[in-house]
Amino acid sequence: MKSKQTPTWIILNILKWVLLITLLAVAVLPVVWLLISSLRTNLELQVSPFGWPEKFQWKNYLTALSMASLPRLLLNSVVVAASAVIVNTIVTAMGSFILSREQFKGRDVIYTILTAGVLVPVISFMVPYFSLITKTGLYNHLSALVLVYTAVNIPVSIFLVTAFMKSIPKELEEASIIDGCGFFRRFSQIILPLSRSGLVTAATFCFIYSWNEFVMAMLLTSSIESRTIQLGIKFFTSQFITDYSSMYAAVIITIIPSVGGYIFLHDKIIGGLTAGGVKG
Amino acid sequence: MLRNLKLVVVLMVFSLTFPLFAQGQSDTAPQKEIELRWASIWVGNDSKAPAVEALVADYNAKNAGKIKVVVEPQPDYNAYEQKVRTSLAAGQAPADIFTIKFNPTTATFYGSKLLMDFSTTMDSDWKATFDAGSLQQSTVDGMLKSLPMETAILPLWYNMDAFNKAGVTTLPKTLDEMFADFDKVKAIGMAPTSQMTGDTNAWTSMIWFSHFAVAFGGTDVWSKPFTDPAFVQAATLIKKMITEYSTADAVGLGAGGSGGHFLAGRTAVFSNGPWYAGRADLAATPFFSSIKIAGLPAAGPTTDFMISRLQANICAASSKDKAKEAAILDFMKYLTSPASITKIAETSGAMFAIKTDYVPKQELQKQFYTAANSAKTTAFDLEAAMGSEVTLEFAQQLGALALGKITPEEFCSLVDRKIER
Repeated sequence: MKSKQTPTWIILNILKWVLLITLLAVAVLPVVWLLISSLRTNLELQVSPFGWPEKFQWKNYLTALSMASLPRLLLNSVVVAASAVIVNTIVTAMGSFILSREQFKGRDVIYTILTAGVLVPVISFMVPYFSLITKTGLYNHLSALVLVYTAVNIPVSIFLVTAFMKSIPKELEEASIIDGCGFFRRFSQIILPLSRSGLVTAATFCFIYSWNEFVMAMLLTSSIESRTIQLGIKFFTSQFITDYSSMYAAVIITIIPSVGGYIFLHDKIIGGLTAGGVKG
Repeated sequence: MLRNLKLVVVLMVFSLTFPLFAQGQSDTAPQKEIELRWASIWVGNDSKAPAVEALVADYNAKNAGKIKVVVEPQPDYNAYEQKVRTSLAAGQAPADIFTIKFNPTTATFYGSKLLMDFSTTMDSDWKATFDAGSLQQSTVDGMLKSLPMETAILPLWYNMDAFNKAGVTTLPKTLDEMFADFDKVKAIGMAPTSQMTGDTNAWTSMIWFSHFAVAFGGTDVWSKPFTDPAFVQAATLIKKMITEYSTADAVGLGAGGSGGHFLAGRTAVFSNGPWYAGRADLAATPFFSSIKIAGLPAAGPTTDFMISRLQANICAASSKDKAKEAAILDFMKYLTSPASITKIAETSGAMFAIKTDYVPKQELQKQFYTAANSAKTTAFDLEAAMGSEVTLEFAQQLGALALGKITPEEFCSLVDRKIER
């Protein structure tokens, strides 16, 4: 039996590992640096940005939690992100079902208009969103952020979920019609359960966006009661001085839920992304 | 069927919890107390935050049942500026009271009817408490739509411990002396100055450039075309400072890095405003007590001047409600009173456009007051004089100038194109 370990195979294998380790380092080292920096003093950071802490400054985490009211902001972020995900998922599921499974005049035009939003920078919506939210009396309410985050994510979600639903074989739906399923049951009992991976993918994107968003949160809110965690991080940056150590501690606290969520759901996210891209 | 039930339950829970998000502004009951929203940048770890918070608490206690000032914390100054611009563009004032950094960009806000014009409401007693020059600088076409509050001078900071190690015991009096001293500092293995081209304004180097430009072109230099020989000379010198008398990482470096080099003792001369003097990490440096503050040594026809700026002007939203307008004016008078300003200055070391008898106790802060009072004249820095867009272009082209990709003449010409006339 001929050995697979030829010189070419060994060289390619080494190159593969070098590339993988390099990519891993590029992805992981900034987070490691952030973690170490969150345990140093500001002076240590200024003098030597890549050093090891002389003494671990755990108090940076206490400062982060107390000074910027992080627990309250964290709760607000959870409420906003979860609500935006729920509303976005409901709207997306219903919209995508119609756009992918029903035949009607203007369907493609509606789909194009909805998904074209992906190409428009969110920053260009600042003035219209601000006007709408203030005129509807929702300024400084959590619901303002929920509505905006839901709306901003509709194009991406529709794009992903419609493609996913289109990949479900028509025969399944036809069989359910023969069995007596009406419009609502076809949606809720046939298509919706089969689209779970696609919906989870869209929901994850919506959650990550809602969790990390800063500009709209700053624009549409003005008090601790309605602000989100990303504004808490910026609380350590004043006009002239930045408390980097406490800010980095706040960043670490902030990224835990989104990283945790990704670890918990990553198989569904990847599955949804790949499955949606394959024609059935 | 069970799945349908689950869906219905989820929708019902959501519809029941959604109203919980509604809070704050939905109360439509008639209010006797007038609530004033203040979008304050003096929050968080800003040195003025504790005094401002105490002043607001004191005001609210004295006016309980009549006026209540609610501070809306504004973290991240750049995002705050964007919020002010967006809300004014949408036809709304960002709050009842808010601050701006007065410059040609923000002066365009004066065209908005959303801002209260203090020129019609300010009485002579109140007016007399302000520095007349700052009031004049804040007036546009006869309108005073922002009151000058915080001011600053932007001198040069010398680490005299480092200078002494290099055999220099006195501050340079001329530009030639300064470069000779810098050569001595270089000889002991230290970078003479902190320079930078990063961020949106190349802050530290922008201050140096402003000193040079005013020295060669006079205090009215900013009214001249940017292609004026004074600016070309200033550009030539700033290039020399970055390439010969700074750290190797100056091109692309941000303000944090530039200040970090000075704090770490890697550079001997720095430039910044009085707010930097109150930093705990600066006070912890071994050379803190040796720091000397001064203007630029004699370089051109203009000497003994100081670069200054209006750091924060305070605005108020115009109101058709006379009671609310009166409440806003009452709070503004309280906030800008010499007594209130003294309290803020005592804890922060910041400088203000309101006249007080306050003299700081801390030596470094005292030097700032002395330098401001002893200067024959003052002139704005580039950002304060030309606005944020011109300064952004300055910062973006400064790196190219330092790397030798463009000449000082080309540099000035490129910045000149950004100036709206």
